[in-house]
Amino acid sequence: MKVRNRQLATLAFSVASAAAFFAGTGAASAAPPESCEGPAIRVLVNDQSTGDKVPLPDVAVAINDEAGVLVIEGVTDEKGVALLCLPDKATYTVVLDTATLPEGTALQDESNTKVVDEQTFTTNVKTVAFFTGTAVRETQGYFGRLIDVTVNGIRLGIIIAICSVGLSLIFGTTGLTNFAHGELVTFGGVVTHLLTVAWGIPFLIGAPVAVLLGGLLGLFLDWALWARLRKRGIGLISQMVVSVGLSIALVNFYLMRFGGFPRRFTAWNDQIASSFGPIDITQRDFVAGLVALTALVSVALMLRNSRLGKATRAVSDNSELASSTGIDSQKIIRIVWFLGGALAALGGVVRGLDEGVEADMGAGLLFLMFAGITLGGLGSAYGALVGGFVIGLFVEVSTMGIPVFPELPLLGFVKHGVPTELKTVPALAVLILILLFRPQGILGQKERVG
Amino acid sequence: MNWELILQLTLQAFFGLDAVVFIIAALGLNVQFGYAGLLNFGQAAFMAAGAYGLGMSTYYWGVSWWWGIAFGAAYAATLAVVVGVPTLRLRADYLAIVTIALAELVRLVVRSVTHKDKFGGSDGLKGFARGFHALNPIDGTGNRYGIGPLQAHGTMRIALFVLWISISLGIAYAIARSRWRKSRPQRVRWGTAVIGICLFGVLLKLFQYFDYLGFELWVLIIGWIIVAICAIFVWALMRSPWGRVLKSIREDEDAVRSLGKNVFGYKMSALVVGALIGTFAGMISALRNSNVQPDNYSRSLTFFVLTALVLGGVAKVSGSIIGPMIYWALLAFTDSFLIQLGDKSGRVTVGGVTLLNNSSAIGQFRLMMVGFGLILLMVLRPQGIFGNRAEMALDGR
Repeated sequence: MKVRNRQLATLAFSVASAAAFFAGTGAASAAPPESCEGPAIRVLVNDQSTGDKVPLPDVAVAINDEAGVLVIEGVTDEKGVALLCLPDKATYTVVLDTATLPEGTALQDESNTKVVDEQTFTTNVKTVAFFTGTAVRETQGYFGRLIDVTVNGIRLGIIIAICSVGLSLIFGTTGLTNFAHGELVTFGGVVTHLLTVAWGIPFLIGAPVAVLLGGLLGLFLDWALWARLRKRGIGLISQMVVSVGLSIALVNFYLMRFGGFPRRFTAWNDQIASSFGPIDITQRDFVAGLVALTALVSVALMLRNSRLGKATRAVSDNSELASSTGIDSQKIIRIVWFLGGALAALGGVVRGLDEGVEADMGAGLLFLMFAGITLGGLGSAYGALVGGFVIGLFVEVSTMGIPVFPELPLLGFVKHGVPTELKTVPALAVLILILLFRPQGILGQKERVG
Repeated sequence: MNWELILQLTLQAFFGLDAVVFIIAALGLNVQFGYAGLLNFGQAAFMAAGAYGLGMSTYYWGVSWWWGIAFGAAYAATLAVVVGVPTLRLRADYLAIVTIALAELVRLVVRSVTHKDKFGGSDGLKGFARGFHALNPIDGTGNRYGIGPLQAHGTMRIALFVLWISISLGIAYAIARSRWRKSRPQRVRWGTAVIGICLFGVLLKLFQYFDYLGFELWVLIIGWIIVAICAIFVWALMRSPWGRVLKSIREDEDAVRSLGKNVFGYKMSALVVGALIGTFAGMISALRNSNVQPDNYSRSLTFFVLTALVLGGVAKVSGSIIGPMIYWALLAFTDSFLIQLGDKSGRVTVGGVTLLNNSSAIGQFRLMMVGFGLILLMVLRPQGIFGNRAEMALDGR
C-alpha cells in the first residue's frame, strides 16, 4: 500500500511538472542509465537517522534549468542514486519531491532544492546529496528537547573529562601544555577500528586492548621524546612547539594510513533507543557512558585515596618538594603519561562509538579539553574532571536557548539557542571569561598563574 | 626520473606564491613569537580576517576592494584585542590555548550554514578579485610570461638578451676591477670575472624555468613588493626603541616592568602588529586563488607557518624570509620526487616494499615529515638557519 502511494506521488509529481509532461513521465518510467555521454548530475538520497547512511529508493527528483523549465527527472534506484543526463554544463536547480520520501522521514535541510552553479560544475558528473535526518518525532516540547540535549551533554562531558585528566596531570607534573593530546584520543579510536573492523577481533576485546595500547603509546612518547627533552633542559615554550610538531606528524600519519573520511565501528551499530522515563538512549550509548563514568570515578578515587594518587598530586603541586620527600617524580611522570594515554584512548573509543572515527577527531576535541581544564584550573586533576564535564554539558545545552529571554539584536542566540553547528563557540566565550575573571579556574591555585 | 622537472618545480616553489604568503604570515608571527615571545597558534584566524575582509567588501557590500584592506585590518585587530585582553597578563600557554581555539572557531563560524549570507558558507566567497585583476598591466588572457630572456619573443627577446649580457659583463668587470681585489694577483681577478660570467649563464638557464600566467605573475609581483615593505617595516620596527623594549620583555618581563614600562601594552601592540601583517598574507592568498575558502585557514596552516619560521630562524627578518622559501622548495622537491618515484596511481615502492599507497598519501607523508622536521629543529637547532641561539628566548622559561 505504502509503495503504491509512493508511486502515485511520483506520478503526481510528474504531472505537476507540466512543462515537459511526456518527457517527464518517460524519464521516470525508464530504467535509469548507468552512465551518460555528456555531463550529468548524480543525485544521492540517504537516510542518516540510524547513524549509518541508508539509501532511499524510489524518491522522485527533477532538474530545472535557470529559467525554471524542467530539464529531466527521475527516481532513485535501490542504491539511493539517480543519474540524470544533461545537455550541457550550466546552472541547474535540483528539486526533490518530498512527498515521495518514505513515511516518517524528513530532509535535514529545510529546503528540498539545491542549486548546482555553473562555476562549480567542474567534474563531468556532479554529485548532489540529500540527507534525511531523524525520523520526524511527535512534536517534542521544550522540556523534552532539554532532556535530550542534557543526556547528550552528559555523554560529551564525560568524554571531555576523561580525555582531559591526562592533559591536566601532564601539565601539572611536567609543565608541558601538550598540543598533541588530541592525537592520543584519535589513537584510541583508530586502533579500535583497526582491531575490530579490519582484523575482526570482537569489540569487547579490541577496545580494552586499544586502551592499553594508548597507555603504552603515552609511555613510549614520554620515554622517546619528553623525558629526553626534560633531561636536556629544553624550555617549556620549545616543548610546546615540539608538541605541535608531534601533532602534525601524528595527524598526517593517521590520514595516510586511515584515510580522510569518518568510519564507524561495525559492532554495536544498529541499536534501538530504549526509554528510561523521559530519556531515550540506546543501549550502546548507555553502556559506553557508564564505562567512561566508571573510569572517571575510579580515577578520581585513585587520586584521592591511593598512595600513588597522593604522590601524583604532590608532584603536580610542587615537583621539587615532592622529590625531596622521597617521591620518585620521574616514575610518577611515567605513570601519568601511561594513565593519560590510556584515558585519552578510552575517550577516543567512546567518542568513536558516538560519532565515528576520523583522523582529526581528537584535534577537534582538543580545544574543548583546554576549555575544560582552564575552567577547572590548569594542573588540577579534579579540576579537569569537573571542568571537562561542565564544558561538555554546556556546549550541548547551549543549543537550547532561553525562550523567556527578550528578543534583542545580536543576542538572538540567547533566546533561540546556538545553532548546532556552532555549539562549540560558547566554549571559547567561557574560556575567555574564565581567563578574565578567575584565571586560576574553579579549583586551581592562584600562584599557578603568572 | 626527470630531474629537470623536479628542479623546475623546486625553483618555482622557492620564489612562488605559497612562499610569499608564508613569508608575510611568518613576518607577522615573528613579531609575536620571535621578538615578543608571544605564542600565537592562531595566525590562520588573522589571515582569514584579511581574506574575508577583502572578499566581503566587494561581494556583499559592493564597495571597492581597497576598502577590503581596511575591513580585514579592522577584523584582525579586533580579534587580536579580544584574545589579548584576557591572556596577555597570564603565562604564555594561555595565549596559545586561546588563539588555537580562536582559529578553529573563526573557521567554524565562517563556514557555517547559519552565517552563509555573510561569509558564503563552505563554498566561501569569490568574484571580489576582479577589481584587482583589472589593474593587471601584464594581461590576464592566459598567455604565459617568463622573466628570463629565453621566454620572450621578437624584439623583446633581443632587447632582454642585450640587457642581460651587458649586466652580466658589467658585474663581472666590476668584480674584476674592484678595489678590494686590487691586492690580489691579476689571474685571481680575471678568474673571478670568468666565474661571474659562468654564474650568469647558469642563472640564464635557471630563469628559463620561471614562466607564469599573466595574472599569476601580477599577484607574484605585488606579493614580493608587500614582502619587501613588510620586511623593511619589521626590521625598522625592531631597531626602534619600541622593538628593543619588546625584546627585553621576551628576555625578562619583570625587569622591564620594574623600569616602569607598560608590559601589557607592549605585548598587546606586538600581537596587533603581528596580526595586521598576517592579514596581508591572507589577502595575497585570497587574490591568488580569486576566492576565499574557509578550509584553507585551518589550524594546521598556523603550524606550517610556524615550522617555516623556525626553519629560517626566529627573531630574524632574514629568517622569516628564507625559511618559508626553503620550506616550500623542500615540499615541492619531495612532492615531485615521490610522484616520479611512484607509478601511475601514485604507489611508491622501494625495494619491493610499498611505502605509499596513492598520490594523496604522498601529500600526507610530506606533512608528516614536516611535523618530524619541526620536532628535530626544535631539539637540535632551535635557532634555525639564520637565528642566533642567544636570542632564542624560548629556552629561558
